[in-house]
Order: sequence, then C-alpha cells, then structure tokens
Amino acid sequence: MEKLSRLSTEDRENLSAYLDGELDDGGTQRIETLLVQSSVARNDVELLSKTYDLLDELPRPDAPKDFLEKTLATAKMEQVKHPISEQQWFITTQKMLILSGWTVALVVASAIGFMVTNQYVERPDDALIQELPLIQNLDRYEEVQSVEFLDLLTADEKLMEEMRKATSYEQK
Amino acid sequence: MSTSPYLRDPDVQLMLRVKDGDDSAFAQIVERFQNRLIGIFTNMFADNALAEDLSQEVFLRIYRARQGYEPTAKLSTWIFQIANNLASNSRRSKGRKKEVQFKVSNSGSQPVQMGENNVVEKSGLMPTRQLDNVELMERVQVALLDLNERQRMAVLLHRFEGMSYADIGAAMELSPQAVKSLLSRARENLREILENYVT
Repeated sequence: MEKLSRLSTEDRENLSAYLDGELDDGGTQRIETLLVQSSVARNDVELLSKTYDLLDELPRPDAPKDFLEKTLATAKMEQVKHPISEQQWFITTQKMLILSGWTVALVVASAIGFMVTNQYVERPDDALIQELPLIQNLDRYEEVQSVEFLDLLTADEKLMEEMRKATSYEQK
Repeated sequence: MSTSPYLRDPDVQLMLRVKDGDDSAFAQIVERFQNRLIGIFTNMFADNALAEDLSQEVFLRIYRARQGYEPTAKLSTWIFQIANNLASNSRRSKGRKKEVQFKVSNSGSQPVQMGENNVVEKSGLMPTRQLDNVELMERVQVALLDLNERQRMAVLLHRFEGMSYADIGAAMELSPQAVKSLLSRARENLREILENYVT
C-alpha cells in the first residue's frame, strides 16, 4: 500500500484499464511512458496482473446433466399454467384500459374544475362588471352629491315639468 | 428493428426464433449459457444449489419475456442484466451473511460448509500439491467473497465472460467509467487479500 500511495487514483485506475486493454491510444501511451519511468508503476502492474490471474483458480462447475431438461420442462409447465392475467394480450389490453381510464378521468376532472372555477370563484373583474352602471355615471353622481337633494328636486312639480319639456325638445 | 446492429449476433437470432415459438432455439440458448450462468452465480454466492436455482430463473424470465423481445442489445448483455438483477434481489431477500461460506463441489449441487478448519483437516488426507491447489482455490474464493457485491459481479463478468467495460456497464446499469473504477478497486482489494499468494 505504501508504494501504491505514490500513484494517484487516476493512475491506478488507468493501470488496471491498461491491463484490460480498455485505454485509448493516448491513455495507453501515457501509461507506457509511466511504466518506463516508474518502478512503482511497474511493480503495481505486475502484482495486479498476477493477482488477477489467481481468479483462474476459481471453480467453474458445469450444470447438472438434467439442468436443461428440468429448465425446459419448467418453462413448458409455466406456459400451460399461464393464467390469463399474465398473457401478453391481457396485459396490453389492461394497460390500455388503465390509460384510457386515467385520460377520461383527467378530462372530466378538468371540465369540472373549469365549471366550478367559472361559477363560484370570484374574479377581480367581476366587481367592476357588476358596478359598471355606477362607474359609468360616477361623474353625475358626484355632481348630485346627495339623495336628499334629488328628492327635493323631484318634489318640485314645476321644475320637473320644465325638465320633461327640455328633454323632449332635445330629442326632437 | 431491421436496422438493429445486434441482428448479426447469433444468440439474438436464436432469441428471435424463440419469439416466433421455436422451443428448440430456447433449448440451444439454455445449453449455450447454462454453464456460464452457473459459474457466475456459484462464485457470487458459493452455493451450488442457489446458483442452479438462480440460473434456471434467468432462463424462465427470458422465456416469459420472449413475446415482447426486441434485439436492442447483445443477448448475453440482456441475460447478464437479468442475472445481475436476480443476484441483487437474492442478496436482499435472503440477507446472506458473508461469514457463512460454502465450498463448491464440481460434481453435485449440495453445498458443503467451508472454513479454515476444513483445510487443516484435509491436510492429512491429501498429497501436498493437491492441498496447495485446494487451499489456493479456497483462498481465492474467500478473497472474492470479501469484495462487495458489485465489485464481485463486475470481476466475474470481466474475468469469466471476458466482457468489455461497456458491456459490463450495460449489464449492471453503470457507465464504463464507473466500471473502470469498480474493477480497479476490486483489483486493489484482491491484491491486498491475496498478497501472500502472489509469487
């Protein structure tokens, strides 16, 4: 480990990849230069390579003679017993139905949401629309100043008569 | 689909025949991959019976998925991807402990418990050279089992299957750079554990 500490992590990874033939031309050249210059790197490569070769000692057992037969029989048996819910056409249809269901639900929910919002939720413009006649005549109402004054005017029959005449004359 | 570069893979051709209902092609796939999968699983878990069960489950999953099969990768990549997923699930579900290790038998499917004592016990029964071989094999097995699970799978796919970093990455859902780091660390760990056995 002491020797390894003198190589960077990247160098160690590249040494390993070099042994596996996984470096590109540039990387290979860099590692080969490093190997020429560094005895530590040469030692590392040798040890890593020899250690990895020890993996050839691992057992590679063959499958039992009846493995193929048992596997094929089990697969066949599964096919026979295959419940309708696991068959491809059923799964596809089920998926499509679920998708359609969700689509319909989404459309219905959107429509309901729109209607509810439109019907019950007050928008800032609603108050303006409702008060439009008042806003349109605001200047006149401000000139009048009070309802009592209007009452006094309407109580004066002569004045009202004059106003009716003036209005009909203007209309003509 | 007709432009898939993987159509040249003979295993992919076999799988397409399986998709078309040719069961003899499925048998050929099992024959081609059975020893390879059992080898990987045996060394992953040091348990022959489990290795056989998991290998069979890989083939059954392939068979079940045959109708939806599309050649989007080499068949071996797909098979080892399934194997990797099964191995991960198996570890999670069984909660296997590292310290319980088994000796692998080449002839049967019964796991035999292995430990340091077994080596000593056998020393009186075997010629020295044979003992050395057995001991070395067991040491290497122990060293392999000492790696974390992802390192172990990457090492086995690389050493046993000769897979490239890119293919290992596809099977284990990792980038080639991640595989490079994984294998480098695995090598360092193995070197530390097996230092005394490297001549």
